[in-house]
Amino acid sequence: MISFALDDDQQIIQQTVRKFAAEVLRPALRTWERERGVPAAARRSFHELGLGLIDVPEARGGAGMSALTSVVVHEELAFGDPAAAVALWAPHLAPAAIMELGDEAQGRRLLARFGERAEALGAVAYSESGNVPLAGFATVAEKVAGGFALRGKKAFVIHGGAADLTVVFAQVEPGRGWDGVGAFCVEGAVTQGARHDLLGLGAVHAAEIVLDGVVVPEENRLLGGADGFGPSLRRFFARAALTSAARQVGLARAAYEYALAYTQERHAFGKPVAHFQSIAFTLAEMHMDVEAARWMLWRAAASDGNLDLGLVAEAAVHANEAAWRVADNAVQLLGGAGYVQDYPVEKWLRDTKSLALCGPTSELQQLALASLELGHAVDGDGAGFPASAIQPIFT
Amino acid sequence: MVDFQLTKSQGQVKEFIHQFAESVVRPMSLQADREHHIPDDFLLRLAQMQLAFSGEVPVEVGGDGGGAGEAKDKRGKSQKNRFAMIGAEELSWGDASIILSLPGPGLGGPPVQFMGTPEQKERFFGVFKDRSQLHFGAYGLTEPGAGSDVSGISTSCRKEGREWILSGRKCFITNGGKADWVVIFATVDRAQGRAGHRAFVVEKGTPGFTVGKIEEKMGLRASETAELVLDEVRVPEDNLLGGEVHYLGKEGFMGAMKTFDSSRPMVGILAVGIARAAYEYARDFVRENYLLARAIPRYAQLATTLADMKRNIDAGRLMCWRAAWMADEGIGNAKEASMAKAYAARMAMKVCADAVQILGAHGLEQHQFVEKWYRDIKVYDIFEGTAQIQRIVIAKRILREPPTF
Ligand SMILES: Cc1cc2nc3c(=O)[nH]c(=O)nc-3n(C[C@H](O)[C@H](O)[C@H](O)COP(=O)(O)OP(=O)(O)OC[C@H]3O[C@@H](n4cnc5c(N)ncnc54)[C@H](O)[C@@H]3O)c2cc1C
Repeated sequence: MISFALDDDQQIIQQTVRKFAAEVLRPALRTWERERGVPAAARRSFHELGLGLIDVPEARGGAGMSALTSVVVHEELAFGDPAAAVALWAPHLAPAAIMELGDEAQGRRLLARFGERAEALGAVAYSESGNVPLAGFATVAEKVAGGFALRGKKAFVIHGGAADLTVVFAQVEPGRGWDGVGAFCVEGAVTQGARHDLLGLGAVHAAEIVLDGVVVPEENRLLGGADGFGPSLRRFFARAALTSAARQVGLARAAYEYALAYTQERHAFGKPVAHFQSIAFTLAEMHMDVEAARWMLWRAAASDGNLDLGLVAEAAVHANEAAWRVADNAVQLLGGAGYVQDYPVEKWLRDTKSLALCGPTSELQQLALASLELGHAVDGDGAGFPASAIQPIFT
Repeated sequence: MVDFQLTKSQGQVKEFIHQFAESVVRPMSLQADREHHIPDDFLLRLAQMQLAFSGEVPVEVGGDGGGAGEAKDKRGKSQKNRFAMIGAEELSWGDASIILSLPGPGLGGPPVQFMGTPEQKERFFGVFKDRSQLHFGAYGLTEPGAGSDVSGISTSCRKEGREWILSGRKCFITNGGKADWVVIFATVDRAQGRAGHRAFVVEKGTPGFTVGKIEEKMGLRASETAELVLDEVRVPEDNLLGGEVHYLGKEGFMGAMKTFDSSRPMVGILAVGIARAAYEYARDFVRENYLLARAIPRYAQLATTLADMKRNIDAGRLMCWRAAWMADEGIGNAKEASMAKAYAARMAMKVCADAVQILGAHGLEQHQFVEKWYRDIKVYDIFEGTAQIQRIVIAKRILREPPTF
């Protein structure tokens, strides 16, 4: 039955996180950007709200909330500050990886730390900065006595080097592309390489990590769910995309509401600038963009029980596009004020680009969607875009 | 609970109407467009079949609003608007002109529904119980001198004894020439603006009430768009919708406007239906054809365009569903209704243009359908309030009300 009504408990959570976002995140947005991190006190408040493992099933030590509740939370956090939304989420994507790729015992054992300590950080390392050849990642996992030795360098790892638990994707069978990839949970510190200076999301610690033969015990290898590693991997990337889409919606809403308020206060030629038709129409466009992106997000999240990867990809692309457009419009509607750091909107225009590149890109998702609709893989101009490259998000 | 699945009965309705649209409506589409006319016997046959699902078809497009759509959900809320969305999308997928030409009250339905007294509803809707002949209603608001600016209508009305006398000219009236009756908006005094407006049901054959020019249009060619001339037309006072009390407050104009809260999402979902038709056509074309001896899907840019089309159609549909859900829940939806229509119409125009582009030169061929949809879709951004008017409605609301997220 088509319905857009959040349950009572979802509304309560929404209001609670909205308040936290307004009181704690929004006022600190510039400070944390300058400091390139979030303070321990904020982590503790976040932890006390119990938001770390919300969508992890109870059997695996989480709060067992639905994907829908979870996107509501991420949207509200990003409404406060998209960078803080990423930085404060201490477990980061590790629970999603363990949930989809690990078994129940691994879930309980590996995730417990996030419930216990506010300072415990999680990370997931898949990207590499060099060319990724068809053969697979340059980071390899080699079978040794007592487990696997990991060697290589990963890039763009959020909480990279600072995390207490890092899920590393490494090539177990070189030459086999994604079919030969394994996922390994590295407990304890890993060596950090260079920290990235990013266009946006300045408060987020994103860094390279260096794996110099660290040995991961056999029981920390994540083998995928009942339907195998590939489908589990796709679901993991889908969860990452869903979270990212929720943040884009929150960011878009923030930019829209800021511009809406500003243009009603700012006067030019004797009236509020919002009363010029071109400004009013732009506000209407922004509003439509936010709404459409949000319903696409909710529709995808509502397919939780059996996450529909096509809907997730649609939601993600839609949110990326809408958020960029809304943030750009917001900067435009504020004029010069939109461009200076006394106002938050220029930050959102930078943040939205960064968010859009934090997971599978829109381009990849579009190709995956097209493949779904056309019933076979789209492979670009033959030379450039092998279907296997989109396999992890390929539905 | 947030949910986007159709219920079992919604699914059945969708399936049933789709079958109908595919096997009966679509095959007539090109001929009707070419001839600017839908054969009467075809429409009569549709009218009879329509009985089977008339409950699912919104009043606006010829249904009677009974049937499965009337089923209440567990909390006793109506599901009517959501059912209407589902049925209308499928019919519009079949053919846009034909759905607008289905016998029934058409756009004249809602004002009679919202403003009419019980006796008036009985009288004017009663006509449609006869399925042996074609019967239509119509909605006459637009005039040569007043389209978007509804308050500027100049068709006059004055009371004489127990009759009203109407004079003026209406244009662009859907099914206006063949309608059994037309809801005509007129003014007692132009200086009063909207407060001076009155809505009458003017019946076919009333002396002085004649059909002028029938428009030749870019698209929707099989749908009749007529000019109506009113020359000292005498209308019994019983035909003043809602009776005189109705116009003592602001309600008169609100009646005309309230119509839009349900008709705008409807126009939106009709646009979604056309866009989906164009998308599916282009998708199948890409699936089945080769370019330079390579399967077209191997060209990533075309494939990506298809993905874009599908995604935007989905978003447009959700915007319409949202407005319809609010209507069913009894939540005021003026802003959302306008957003649904504005968003869906623009989306659909882009999708239809992309479909033509994807078919290449084939896209211009008349037997390939997409050139027709490309012509049909444009008007969805014009009638029932232009793109600009929708944005005015949205902007007024968002500037006045606190954010609703
Ligand atoms: C196929 C078809 C069927 C129709 N069926 C019916 C029907 O059944 N009954 C009926 O009553 N009418 C019907 N119409 C009329 C339709 O509703 C009007 O055409 C429409 O409302 C626009 O009015 P207009 O054509 O006079 O344009 P105008 O009002 O003259 O507008 C011209 C342009 O100015 C813009 N504009 C106007 N005001 C503003 C403003 N304040 N700010 C910014 N821009 C503005 C408009 O958006 C438009 O772009 C139909 C039209 C068509 C084409």
